[in-house]
Amino acid sequence: MASASSPQQTLLIPRHVQYIKDLGQSSNELGYHLTSHLRMNAIYWGLTALCMMGHKDALDREDLISYVKSCWDEEAGGFGAHRDHDAHLLSTLSAVQILVILDALDEIDVDRVVSFILSLQHPSGVFAGDRYGETDTRLLYTAVNALSLLGRLSDLDIEKTAGYIVKCRNFDGGFGAVMGAESHAGQVFVCCAALAIMDKLDEVDEDSLAWWLAERQLPNGGLNGRPEKLEDVCYSFWVLSALAILEKVDWIDAEKLTAFILSAQDIEGGGIADRPGDEVDVFHTIFGIAGLSILGYPGLGDLDPVYCMPAELIESLGLRKRWRGLPRRAAP
Amino acid sequence: MHGVKRVRQSPEALAAKKEKEQAKLNSYLELTQTILAKKKSKDWSGEAFDLTTKLLQVNPEFYTVWNYRRDILLNGTFPRSSPQEINDILSSELHITTTALKQHPKVYWIWNHRRWCLASIPDVPQPAAVDEQEQGQASTEPAEVDPRGWQKAAWDREMYIVEKMLDADPRNFHAWNYRRYILSESPTPRPLSAELAYTTKKIESNFSNFSAWHQRSKVYAQMWESGEADVEGSKEAEFDLVLNAMYTDPDDQSVWVYHRWLVGKTPSLALLQREIKAIQELLDEQPDSKWCMESLVHYKQLLLQRHRSEVNSKEVIGDCSRLLRELRSVDPDRRARYAELEEKLLAAFA
Repeated sequence: MASASSPQQTLLIPRHVQYIKDLGQSSNELGYHLTSHLRMNAIYWGLTALCMMGHKDALDREDLISYVKSCWDEEAGGFGAHRDHDAHLLSTLSAVQILVILDALDEIDVDRVVSFILSLQHPSGVFAGDRYGETDTRLLYTAVNALSLLGRLSDLDIEKTAGYIVKCRNFDGGFGAVMGAESHAGQVFVCCAALAIMDKLDEVDEDSLAWWLAERQLPNGGLNGRPEKLEDVCYSFWVLSALAILEKVDWIDAEKLTAFILSAQDIEGGGIADRPGDEVDVFHTIFGIAGLSILGYPGLGDLDPVYCMPAELIESLGLRKRWRGLPRRAAP
Repeated sequence: MHGVKRVRQSPEALAAKKEKEQAKLNSYLELTQTILAKKKSKDWSGEAFDLTTKLLQVNPEFYTVWNYRRDILLNGTFPRSSPQEINDILSSELHITTTALKQHPKVYWIWNHRRWCLASIPDVPQPAAVDEQEQGQASTEPAEVDPRGWQKAAWDREMYIVEKMLDADPRNFHAWNYRRYILSESPTPRPLSAELAYTTKKIESNFSNFSAWHQRSKVYAQMWESGEADVEGSKEAEFDLVLNAMYTDPDDQSVWVYHRWLVGKTPSLALLQREIKAIQELLDEQPDSKWCMESLVHYKQLLLQRHRSEVNSKEVIGDCSRLLRELRSVDPDRRARYAELEEKLLAAFA
């Protein structure tokens, strides 16, 4: 291979497409079954990554729809992560996202899903994940995102919901998982994106937050999630999505971050890891590719950082909010 | 998979591994199917409960099985148990999750189950009043039993567990969030001063532990609100601590972020000038210190925003401009930010 485009400096799209396709074929492996509680999320991550790479059709549409429907929890009125798993907000959002991407929302009982989501809101405004579940801002975002995609945001008490996020805001401009919790880039993404969906971005202390986010970049180009922590590819999305919502992606060094994400690829087997040399997984694969999309990497589709879904699709649904990534670069 | 090294295996090694896994895989799948079938048929038996223990030991992230386990307890076990028995079962649940957390300190579902157990501990039953006539003597008041005795004992143990977890990983946000939960919900509240002392201990063992600095900011805010600490006096002591930390390692951003909180958004002129002077002195010693320069810009901008008439604004703007240009070369990753700040500054105070 020519040195100008050695594998480490290029996104190996065909390898990653194959890696994602193969994930569904590994049902004779223990690891596959030990992660069944993440299956619905994993399909959403894989499908979104494929959309970004222009290979949406690499997974069979009918198979996906029938799988999603097979995870319906009739008793609760939501989707579980796998067949016979309990309904949970996390898997319900992923199911809704998959069906929206496949234009198949008419296959499910939207009213029941909406009731399930709304039933999980606590008086404080925060959401629980399920009937026994913990509550945090991650789950609140999950609910807001799903209601918005289902066209039912009007069923939500916006003031109460946004009010909870405001209570989780810290002096550094960031947000924590619950009231009193430390700012964390993952929580910053979910809180900014939820506020964006609810048209409440005026609650963000933009100067402090953009400063805090820019300081997530480490000398090796990677981003961390909190001060004095290690870099990790998944923060490429958590930090960049929030910076895109604040229209400040240029406040970090895009070239160095791009190189860091690319260096975490498995150049033989495909997929992206948390950092160079580690085992890959579909979670870091989508969030690495999502980060590259926001950074304007050539040949990728635009990712909507608020919904973490294809931008074109969100636009066509009339849900596009204010955000700005770096301009898409032409292939060298 | 966080932090798992990639190992390239030969096809032969992979095949051998798969074969070795096969037995494990079959028994895992069988156990899963048995449990999910029992769950469907609403089997609340002790046998089903024991199977969930077995499965959760292999896979503590199987949230549906945690849910089923709680369903069994609520619908099957508790209705036929005395309060003492329920308390014993929940103690053993807490013990199981302690073991699981040692292996999997970041699994949400385990922490979640722990909270449920704590919240489900029953009240201690009160001894029945002694019947006067049967005894043929004046009634005696039964010895009073603290109805929340079991809860207090359990919650008190939690603090010990969470401290062990934070010894193992002082930045584990699950453990910190759980700690705050215990502090705010415990039936035996702990004084804020004790929590402040805990953050001191954590910070002294590692200045970089921003989780401890963060907790400190929350504890102080509560102490100031309740009047438990004097605002001025405690702030002064904090400025000493932070200054010491800055000199120890001027590159550690935890300290600088905390300093920003300490100064706040509405500092007095005297405070700002004093802190600017202290940071300037450190910068003179460490002329390339990015955090010194960055913080000086921030505090000098505060001077302009809040005390413009009291300072030589032309000089301050000039200082900021010069520092921002220097930052662009000292910290080039964030050069666009520094350029934008300078542009905005000049536009705002032109």
